[in-house]
Amino acid sequence: MRTPTSPPRRSNLPPLRVLLLLPTSTYRTTAFVEAARRLGAQLTVASERPSTFEAAQPDGLLTLDFQHPERAADAARRFATEHPIAGVVAVDDDTAVAQAAIAVALGLSGNPVAAARAARDKHQQRMLMSAAGVAVPQFSLQAIAADPRTLAATTRYPCVLKPLRLSASRGVIRANDSAEFVAAHSRLSRILTAPEFAGCGEWAEKFLVEDFVPGPEVALEGLLVSGRLHVLALFDKPDPLDGPFFEETIYVTPSRLPDAAQAAIAACAQEATRALGLVHGPIHAELRWNDKGAWLIELAARPIGGRCSAALRFTAGERGRGKGDVSLEEIVIRHALGMELPALERETDAAGVMMIPVPGAGVLRDVQGIDAAKRVSLIESVEITAHRGQELVPLPEGARYPGFIFARGDSPSVVETALRAAHAKLRFDVESPAT
Amino acid sequence: MPPYPGLAPGVSFILMDPAAITITAEPLNVERCKFVVGVPVYNGGLRRFTAPHEAHGSPLAEALFAIPGAEVQEIIVSGNLVTVVKASTLPWQVLGKQIGAAIREALAGPVPAIAAKAEVAAGDVDDDTLYERVSRLFDEEVNPMVARHGGRVELIDVQDAVVMLRMAGGCQGCGMADVTLRQGIEGMLGQRVPEVKGIMDITDHTAGENPYFAASKK
Repeated sequence: MRTPTSPPRRSNLPPLRVLLLLPTSTYRTTAFVEAARRLGAQLTVASERPSTFEAAQPDGLLTLDFQHPERAADAARRFATEHPIAGVVAVDDDTAVAQAAIAVALGLSGNPVAAARAARDKHQQRMLMSAAGVAVPQFSLQAIAADPRTLAATTRYPCVLKPLRLSASRGVIRANDSAEFVAAHSRLSRILTAPEFAGCGEWAEKFLVEDFVPGPEVALEGLLVSGRLHVLALFDKPDPLDGPFFEETIYVTPSRLPDAAQAAIAACAQEATRALGLVHGPIHAELRWNDKGAWLIELAARPIGGRCSAALRFTAGERGRGKGDVSLEEIVIRHALGMELPALERETDAAGVMMIPVPGAGVLRDVQGIDAAKRVSLIESVEITAHRGQELVPLPEGARYPGFIFARGDSPSVVETALRAAHAKLRFDVESPAT
Repeated sequence: MPPYPGLAPGVSFILMDPAAITITAEPLNVERCKFVVGVPVYNGGLRRFTAPHEAHGSPLAEALFAIPGAEVQEIIVSGNLVTVVKASTLPWQVLGKQIGAAIREALAGPVPAIAAKAEVAAGDVDDDTLYERVSRLFDEEVNPMVARHGGRVELIDVQDAVVMLRMAGGCQGCGMADVTLRQGIEGMLGQRVPEVKGIMDITDHTAGENPYFAASKK
């Protein structure tokens, strides 16, 4: 049960209107809507499909075509003539380019459209970063229609096949030899030619082949303020991500990597943002660390996805140091509205989230053990987001997590242990397609 | 209509053959069922009973709370509608007959089936009045809107001017449920029933089996 009613405003500023670009497929709705309410901001939610309340609440709801950022910007400009907008926030990859276009159209702070587009496309970002000297895996752009055996014969192994736009490791497959390459290509081809991506344009007709970079992977959450990267959190990913698929599971912060490694990773991310031309707002980057240094794997002009942001809490300022009173979404909205920012300093506790792995292909019938999982020491919440009757699809084809587990404690290791213990309590009843 | 001592203004009732009263049951879910009665049950607006002691003086409410095994939790009466909320696992098909009999018997009695509610001090808006206004808004505007996405919003209670509601159907577990709640319903309440001080969603969204919008990775 959720209990927010009329939260107090945290600012004496007159209410500013934030335009929140919220695709209907997002996990982020509650976090952003509640953050805007806590800040006392006037909120207009824009989605790609109309709300049934849009006619009744025309100042609070808007439909925008996120796939065509210029159209979205025109519509936002018309809307703003009656309802002035002070800031625009994107919550995911799909909306980040529209956000940039709207910011330009309305004269608001934001990223250049070209930079947002580059961050959206994995090939473009590889090209720009490579040209700027950022350490990225060696890569090549290939057509999905090309003969896989010919490609396999000229590829260096181990390699990774990667679609240009899909998120959360969807469609990303490692191949250690030519036979695995051909099999991976076949699988990726089936994903990209699915009806879901029909008519999506050139990006769905191409893919990247790049070197597999060994070493532990981390996720960096940051905020760009006038081009300068402020690292909000660095997450370790303690489960090895060596393939053949790259399912995200546990994120724990603070990182247990040496300080020098963390500094090098932050510097690499900053260089990557400069290479792309990003200057404003949240970024989420995936990097690897090995004896050659930090490697930029991917960078997106948006905050962390899923419900993972609930693992992050920030101090409200000097008096609140060490305590976690401010959410990531509040920071993002404050920044977009030009409001005073808090310390940008994470709470002192360690925190972690497990994106619950898909337990198998089939229809979810039931989840048991949730209460037992919640009773595990240090566990804050267990959120099952899949509904009964939902089809569960594992990687590399899948696009939904069954749920999330959150923990907080004195150290990263105890948090990680708690997440694993809670996950072990869960029992998923999945009816496989064959039965 | 014969006058009876103590009859409050605006309250009417009829004496009639109980068998002539038509009653249609419309179960909303396992807990809640609406009974549409062929004659007015209460013309004084809306009355809501959440405990047996509140039913004193209202024969229909007293009788409904007393149905064995029904575990009636709440009764809402307005016009020709009687909504019963139960905790019992007994199906409405079983309880409906007893409830129908209680309605007929109370309507055929010599005193009003539902007593008039106490007067409220000038300027105050009591929760029952808010409940009635919010209920009407939900029935006439909110639910027709969410129904377009297969959803339904149930008004559960109004306590201290805070509206408690539950989302069902396509709204339950929907990735955009909070947008519907905050940008849609709350906005309409603020305009139409400004005395409402807050809104509380008691939906178990994890139990939603057919959400209209489902979240996917990032």
